[in-house]
Amino acid sequence: MNKYLCIVILSFLGSVKAAMANDALIIVANTSDASIQLTRQQVRNLFMGGALSYDLNAVALPPENHTRVLFNTKVVGLTESRIQSYWAQMRFTGRKKAPKEINNEQQVLEYLKTHQGSIGYLPAGMPVPDELTVVYKIN
Amino acid sequence: MTFFPRPIFAICLLLGSYTCFANAQAEDNLQFSGFARVVMGYLDDSNAEYAGYDDSISLGEQSLLGLQADYQFNETLSITGQLVGHTNERRESGLEWLYVTYKPSNAFQVKLGKQRLPFFNYSDSLDVGFAYPWLTLPKQFYETSFFSTFEGLLANYEFPVSVLLINLEGYWGYYDDDIYSPDGGVETKVTGLFGFNTSVTWKNWNARASYNQGNTELTLLSASQFGEQLRQVGFERSADWLDPNGLIQFYQFSVNYEDLNYFLRSEIAKMEGESGMVPDIDSFYVSVGYNFYPYTIYLSYSKRDLYYDHPENEIPFGVSDQLNALAGGYVAITNGFLDDKSAGTKVGIRWDWRSNVALKAEATYIDADEKISGDFTLRDLGNFDGSAILYQLGLEWVF
Repeated sequence: MNKYLCIVILSFLGSVKAAMANDALIIVANTSDASIQLTRQQVRNLFMGGALSYDLNAVALPPENHTRVLFNTKVVGLTESRIQSYWAQMRFTGRKKAPKEINNEQQVLEYLKTHQGSIGYLPAGMPVPDELTVVYKIN
Repeated sequence: MTFFPRPIFAICLLLGSYTCFANAQAEDNLQFSGFARVVMGYLDDSNAEYAGYDDSISLGEQSLLGLQADYQFNETLSITGQLVGHTNERRESGLEWLYVTYKPSNAFQVKLGKQRLPFFNYSDSLDVGFAYPWLTLPKQFYETSFFSTFEGLLANYEFPVSVLLINLEGYWGYYDDDIYSPDGGVETKVTGLFGFNTSVTWKNWNARASYNQGNTELTLLSASQFGEQLRQVGFERSADWLDPNGLIQFYQFSVNYEDLNYFLRSEIAKMEGESGMVPDIDSFYVSVGYNFYPYTIYLSYSKRDLYYDHPENEIPFGVSDQLNALAGGYVAITNGFLDDKSAGTKVGIRWDWRSNVALKAEATYIDADEKISGDFTLRDLGNFDGSAILYQLGLEWVF
C-alpha cells in the first residue's frame, strides 16, 4: 500500500516540477554583442519603457497570452490591469510607447530573428536559434 | 440656453474627425488612440456642492472623450495632437495637446508645442481616468494648480545608475488663457513659467520631486483699480496686497510603491502665492490599495490647508469720509478671502473588466470647516455643516 502511495506522490511531484519548467521564461535578444546579460530589474525597466545602456527595442505578447501573464508576474511584478493603466498614462502624456505587440510566441521568435536590436520574452522550452542571445532566464 | 451645447458640439466634432481619420489609418505612420470616461455622481447633502455635484444624479461633470493622433515623420521626429470634449461646461473642450517630439534615443526626448503641465504625478493625465485607481483624483490635492497647460518646450532624459533608474525633466513656456473658478473665468497670463522634476525608481519604489514657478497676471480690474486708488493716497501695503499679479511657486514630493498585491501612493505639495489674493496651499494625500485581479480596492485620505496672508488694516477709520470709504471697501474685500481647510476620505473599487475597460465605484467623505471660501471644489449653498458624502460610479475606456 505504502509503495503505491509513494509512486502517487512521486508522480505528483514530477508533474509539479514539469509544470514549473514549463513556466520558466527566457528573454531573447537579437544583438551583435552575445555577451550581454541583463538583471531582472534591467529587463523590467526595458519592458516598461525605461532607458538602458544598451539600445534594445522590446516586443510583447497580447494581454491574454499565458507567457505574458507569467512575464508580468515573475519579471514586472505588476498585474495586467496596472500595466495597462501605466501605458495609458504614458501614451496620453506623450512620454513613452508600449512595446509592439506580436500575436504569439512563434511570431515573436520570427520577429526577433529579422530585427536587429529587438528583444522579447519566450517560454524557456522554445528552441532558440544561434543568431539570437538569451540575455536573462527566470524559472 | 440649451443643455451643454458647446461640449456636445465638441464631441460631435471629435467623433466626426475620428471617422475621417480612421479611414486614413492604413498609413502606418499615422496612429489613432483615445480615452473616454462616463462618470455619474450624487452628493448626499442639499446644502453643498462638491466638484460640481449636488443632491441630484449628474453625468455631466467628469464624463469626457479624448482622441489622439500621432504622426511619425521618421524614426526621431513625430507630431501629436489630442482633442478633449468635456461634458462639463466649465472645462474648455478642444485641443489639449499639440506638440512636435524629437526623440533621438530611448533615453532623451524634447517636445515643443502646447502641452499639459507636469506639476504633480497625475497633472498631465487628469482626464485619463483609466490611468489611475481612483474614480476621482484626491480633489484636496489635485485642485491646487489653477492652470493646466502651457505652450513651450519640455525635455526629458532618463538613465540608469546602478540599480536606480533616474528621470530628469524640465520645461519652459507660458500660459495665456482663462482659468476657471465657480464664479466664472478669469483671464490669466503666466510668463516665465518653468519647472523641473526628477524621479528615481528602485525596484517597486518610485520617488518624485518637482519645483515649478510662474509670474501670474490675473485680469481682476476692480481689484487693480481699487489697489491703485489706495496707492495714490499712500497705503502701499494694502495696495500691494490687492495686486493680483505675482510669482506662484509649487513644490511637490511623492513616494509610490506597487507590487502584484499592494500599492501605496502618496504625494505632498506646497503652493506659495506672492499676491495677497493668491493663497498659500499645503496639501497631501495617502492611498493604499489591494489587488485581487481583476479587482483593486483602495482607501485614500487627502487634506488641504488653504490660507491667505491676512494683513492688518492700515487705513484709519473716522478721519474723513473718503478714508472711511476706502477702509470699509478694503475690509470688505479682504474679509471675502477666507481660509479653507478640507479633507477627503475615500473608499473604492476598480474592476478591470477588459484590458482596456475598467468600471469603478467610489464613495468620498468630505469633511470641511463650517466656514469655507466657496472658491474651490466645495461650495456652501447655505447652512452647510461641513460634511457630506459623494457617491460615484464610472466607466473608463481606452482605445
